[in-house]
Amino acid sequence: MKVAYYSPLPPSRSGIADYSALLLPALRERLEVVVAEPGKRAPDADVAVYQVGNDPDEHGWIVDALRERPGVVVLHEYVLHHLLAGITIGRGDGRGYLDAMERELGVTGRLLGLGVLDNLLPLLWETQPERFPLAGTVLDRATGLVVHSDFVAARARAAGYRGRLWRIPHPVWPVRTVEPAVGVAGDPLIGCFGFLNMNKRIPQLLEAFAGLRRERPSARLLLVGAAGERFDVGRRLERLGLVDGVERLGYVPEERLWSLMAACDVLVNLRYPTMGETSGSAIRALALGRPLVVSDVGWFSELPDGAVLKVPVDEYEVPTLQLALGLAADRGSELGAAARAYVEREHALPAVADAYAAALEEAAGGDAVDDAVLLRIATAAAEAGVADPAAIARAARDAGVIG
Amino acid sequence: MRVAVCAPQVPFVRGGAELMAESLVEALRGRGHEAELVTLPFKWYPGARVLDQAFLWRLVDLDESDGRPIDRVIATKFPAYCVRHPNKVAWVLHQFRQAYDYDGTELGQFGDSPEDRATVRAIRRLDAVALGEARRVFATSRNVADRLSRFNGIEADVLPHPPQALDYRTEPSQGFVLSVNRLDRAKRIDLLVEAVKRDPALRVVIAGDGPDRGRLERLAAGLDGRVRIAGRVGGDELADLYARCLAVYYAPLDEDFGMVPYEAFLAAKPVVTTADSGGPLEVVADHETGLVVPPEPAAVARACAYLAAHPDEAASLGAAGKRVAGRVTWDACVDALLG
Repeated sequence: MKVAYYSPLPPSRSGIADYSALLLPALRERLEVVVAEPGKRAPDADVAVYQVGNDPDEHGWIVDALRERPGVVVLHEYVLHHLLAGITIGRGDGRGYLDAMERELGVTGRLLGLGVLDNLLPLLWETQPERFPLAGTVLDRATGLVVHSDFVAARARAAGYRGRLWRIPHPVWPVRTVEPAVGVAGDPLIGCFGFLNMNKRIPQLLEAFAGLRRERPSARLLLVGAAGERFDVGRRLERLGLVDGVERLGYVPEERLWSLMAACDVLVNLRYPTMGETSGSAIRALALGRPLVVSDVGWFSELPDGAVLKVPVDEYEVPTLQLALGLAADRGSELGAAARAYVEREHALPAVADAYAAALEEAAGGDAVDDAVLLRIATAAAEAGVADPAAIARAARDAGVIG
Repeated sequence: MRVAVCAPQVPFVRGGAELMAESLVEALRGRGHEAELVTLPFKWYPGARVLDQAFLWRLVDLDESDGRPIDRVIATKFPAYCVRHPNKVAWVLHQFRQAYDYDGTELGQFGDSPEDRATVRAIRRLDAVALGEARRVFATSRNVADRLSRFNGIEADVLPHPPQALDYRTEPSQGFVLSVNRLDRAKRIDLLVEAVKRDPALRVVIAGDGPDRGRLERLAAGLDGRVRIAGRVGGDELADLYARCLAVYYAPLDEDFGMVPYEAFLAAKPVVTTADSGGPLEVVADHETGLVVPPEPAAVARACAYLAAHPDEAASLGAAGKRVAGRVTWDACVDALLG
């Protein structure tokens, strides 16, 4: 069976490119996979799978292809407002944006969209995208849906998606020996990796770290990743008196990323609001067996309690986070062992690839099989005087005979 | 207790699975329970037809019969274990192997088309549902239990069952090697016939019938009658063949259970099997209760010749097998299934 695979791939720096680079070889051991390329003819295949994230530069062409040919959508995050804005307004298609807003919120959505187009309202994808996810446009074209979390599954169902749905964990990178980076140190050394912006809770992290440093003056914080345009990390560090306690690095290549993570005593991955995303950075931390502190939201909430420390996003977030950082540093080996055991059990690449193969095989032929079985059952039922096709389909589905 | 034993029935075909279900009913009745065999005809082709059959079992209402509740359902095979009952116990003799280990091999029935692949996935999903709702899952062999664990994540307890009741006895060997099996490619009786070609002293009797019979007869042609295909034989004749043979050959590919080694052992005969035969290897240990050889005609021929040349050891292996078979009783099975 042949699968057409749509995804950004390295050298793209997106997390989804890394994800596909990890998954594709394992998937190719199970199925015939043809990788689609932007601007080229769509590959001939039995089923197409579309890796969808929120970046219009990376995923715009993928949604275009999905519109041409419905298929299995892998929803890496639920909030797609930025993507939809990019492939509508960004291409001069204001009407497309209004349609997407109306799909989500009816007339109110259309009016809000008009406000954005007329510069009467702030850009919703920058100010409050989580309130207007705009995933419906993508879900409408999905013949099957792969998600990483119950959180996204529930949101998709609530948005009216009724098709096949599989929850397949983000695969973990094979655990290998990683030499900790030299030249970065702290007691403890706390690391935060990934794009730095407000919804990574960097202000809260800095505040909590400042508190921790008052208790543990040798503590240092490593911030790795580019900063958002309107996010001045430097000024915040000065204000909190943290210039000496925090080291900042921009984008680093994969090998360097692993070694820097391995050098840290505690890793932090905070989020609010969540876009329903899975964090490749968090998966790497778990794979390394490093204690991890996360926000108690979305996918992060679904991580097992014994393997990570979860900080609720509430009025006590900063003091709780400060306590969690200290606790994680003190209980590092215990938490790390549980984290590694968890990802090896739940996120193992072979199991993830098996689940993908099963999902894609179901997606490709499932409807035809269901139709064939239902036709025979319905024929028999009709001959017995029962002729309600919907009731028959429900009965077959309840019986587990069709998907 | 009122117990319904559910098993599928392939019309006009009778083998170990049918005997097992009937024997279980007899054993339950022997212990004072009210037991009944419930069957539906099973046809697993073409295409997704196999799912229709599962649907039939889902429709069967065994909560009660004639106004009285049925206390327990014991189901033995796909798709019978798809039946719904609050006190269902699955005693798995077979899953539908075409959707599992046979898939992608010459023994499989599903190809690479999207419909075939989706059918395989639907069967696996259905197994997860049907076996997942059972109050307990047993497997007739470690091989079956391992497959349930590997493919479905279902942990089953291993519970082998005794073979059919025959007048098992031991008589002096008359030198022939006996095959008792359905004549089906997966049973690899051709290995034994090819072995006869390599050893002019080897004589075999093949009991059983099936779709591979014509091919085996052609293979056996020109071997001076040293291969006798006896077809389906009755219980008395079978017991007689067991009693008089030198050894029993049994080497299906990755078999789930296989009653034949137990039957051979009850006649105190050693078993020749292959290293890839699966379930039989749980009781046939090399030079302990039989001989285990590579799945090659020359190796099978050498094993048969070895037993012919060492009759005392053959008898000793058979006696050891008899002790193994003696530990598997219907009483133990009934206790476990109703526990």
